[in-house]
Amino acid sequence: MVKFIQEQLKNSGANISIDEASLLVQAKAGNMEAVERLILKYQDRVYNTILKICGNRDDAAELTQDAFVKVIQNLKNFKGQSSFYTWLFRIAVNATLNFCKKNSRISFQPLQSEPDEALKKQLKDYLIDKTSPQPPQIAAAKELQSLILKALEKLDADQRAVIVLRDIEQMNYTEIAETLGIEIGTVKSRIARGRKNLREILEGVIQ
Amino acid sequence: MKDMELIEELLNCYIDGELDERKSNELKRLIDNDSQIQGLYDSLRRYKNLMDAAGQTAAPEHLCDSITARLEREILLADTGTYSLKAGRRHLTIRRLMTAAAVIALAAVLSIIVFDIFVPKSSRQQLLSGTLRKKAVKQVLYERPFAETKQQEDKKIVPEKSYDVPLVAVLKLKTNNPIEVDWFVAKVLTTTNLFNRTTSIDRQPGTVRYVINCGNQSVVNLVQELSFIWPQCVSTKIDVGTEQAGKYITVNNISAEQAIEICKTENFSQRSRMANDLAVINKFTSPAVVDRLYAAADIDYESLIAQKPALTSTEKTQNASQPQDNIKNATLTIIVTSD
Repeated sequence: MVKFIQEQLKNSGANISIDEASLLVQAKAGNMEAVERLILKYQDRVYNTILKICGNRDDAAELTQDAFVKVIQNLKNFKGQSSFYTWLFRIAVNATLNFCKKNSRISFQPLQSEPDEALKKQLKDYLIDKTSPQPPQIAAAKELQSLILKALEKLDADQRAVIVLRDIEQMNYTEIAETLGIEIGTVKSRIARGRKNLREILEGVIQ
Repeated sequence: MKDMELIEELLNCYIDGELDERKSNELKRLIDNDSQIQGLYDSLRRYKNLMDAAGQTAAPEHLCDSITARLEREILLADTGTYSLKAGRRHLTIRRLMTAAAVIALAAVLSIIVFDIFVPKSSRQQLLSGTLRKKAVKQVLYERPFAETKQQEDKKIVPEKSYDVPLVAVLKLKTNNPIEVDWFVAKVLTTTNLFNRTTSIDRQPGTVRYVINCGNQSVVNLVQELSFIWPQCVSTKIDVGTEQAGKYITVNNISAEQAIEICKTENFSQRSRMANDLAVINKFTSPAVVDRLYAAADIDYESLIAQKPALTSTEKTQNASQPQDNIKNATLTIIVTSD
C-alpha cells in the first residue's frame, strides 16, 4: 500500500495537491491510509531538516520516526491553531534540538578531512574573488555539501536550527518563529549571527 | 559597530524578502550608494545561494513502513493494556502468588501421601498425639557451640533428717567389793584418757558417782574396758535417757555386751528401741539364765579377774582408743554402790 502511494506521488510530480484537511480528519478517525499519506507527504522534508540539524543519518531517521509517532498519537489534540506542517516541524525540530543539546559532546566533531585544493580554490573564487562559477555547480560536488554540513554542525544549535529552517526548508520568519516558539526579532538576530558565523567558519576552511 | 550589526540584520531580511516595500527601497538605495554595504550584501547573497544549493537529502526508503509498524505496535500494546506498567506488575504479582499457592498445595498433598505410605497405622495415633501434646520447647536465646548437654539427673530422695538426742546413760553397778570396783573404774578412766573428761566424781559412803562427758566412741571403749568388772557386780542396771529430760528407759540386769551395744547405736531412735527391747528381755530372763549364757559362751570369770594386773599397768592399752571430741557429746554416769 505504501509503495503504491509513493509511486502515485512520484508520478504525480511535486505539486500534487492533497487535501490536507480531509487527510487529517481521516487520520484522526484512525484511518491508517490517511496516516501513511501524511507521513509520505512530509517525511523527506522532516528528515532533511533533522539531518541538517543533528548531522547524523541514523539519528535523523530515529528522530524522524519519533516525531511522526508522537504527532500521530497526539493527532486528537491538534486544534488546528497553526498549520499541520508547522506543528509537525515544531515537534520534530524541538525534539532534535533537545537531542543535540543532550548529546552535544558526541555530535559536534571537528572537520576531520581537509578539503582538497581544487575544492578550496573553487569555493574561494566563489565566496571571495567573485569570479564565480554558478552556485548550483559548486554545490553539486558532494564534497562541498559535506563541507557545508560540517560547517553547520559547528554553529550553535539554536542558530543552526534557524539557518536550516530558513535556507534549506525555506520557511519564512513567521513560520520559523512559530516552529521554534520564539519572537520574530529573535529569528532575525539569530539568522544574522548564524550566517556571519558560518561565513567565518568557511573562510577559515578555505584559507 | 552596532549600526553594522543592524545593517547586516536588515540586509539578511532584504535577501530573505522579509522587509516591507518601503524599507526595501531605502535599503536598496543604501546598497547602491555605499560600496562597503554593497560588498557585504554580495557576500551574504553568495552564502545564501550556497546554502540554498546545499541540496535535499531524501528520507530512507523504509522510513514510512517503520513508522507505521511502530505506530501499529504501540496502538496494539496500548489497547491490550497487558503491558502497561501497573497492570503488568499486578498481573505478574498475581501469577507469582498463584504459583506459590500451587506449590504449597502440591507439597502438602505429597506430604500426606508420603505419610500414608511410610508411617504404619498403629503408630500414627501415637505420633499424632505425641506431636500434638508436645509442650512448646523453651526458646533458646543463644546457643553455645559445643556446649555439653546436661543429662537429667535422677531426683534424689533425701530422707527427712531425724532428730537425735545425745547419749545420756546412767550405769549403776551394785557390788560387794565397792573399793575394788571403784579402783578399777578409776583405773579404766585413766587408761582410756577419760579422766580429764570426768566432769564430776562424787564420793559418798558406800557410793561413788562418776559423770563422764565425752564422745560416743569413747563411751563404747570405756564400757568395753569396764566389762571385766561385771562379774564383781551383784546387779547391773542402765538408764538410757530419752528425748524428755529426766525420763529414762531402765534396763535391769544389763550385761556388758548389752551395754556396749546400746552405746554403739548410731541414733536416738535405734538406741531407745534397743533399750526397750532389752528391758523387756531382761525382765523375763533371770540372772541364772544369764549365767548359763555366759557359761555357754565359755567365759572364765577367774581368768577375767586374773587379767586385772594387765589393767593396772600405767601404760595405755593398745586397744584403747583415743577419746574423740565427737560432735555428739555423750554423758555417761557410772554409779558404783554397795547398797
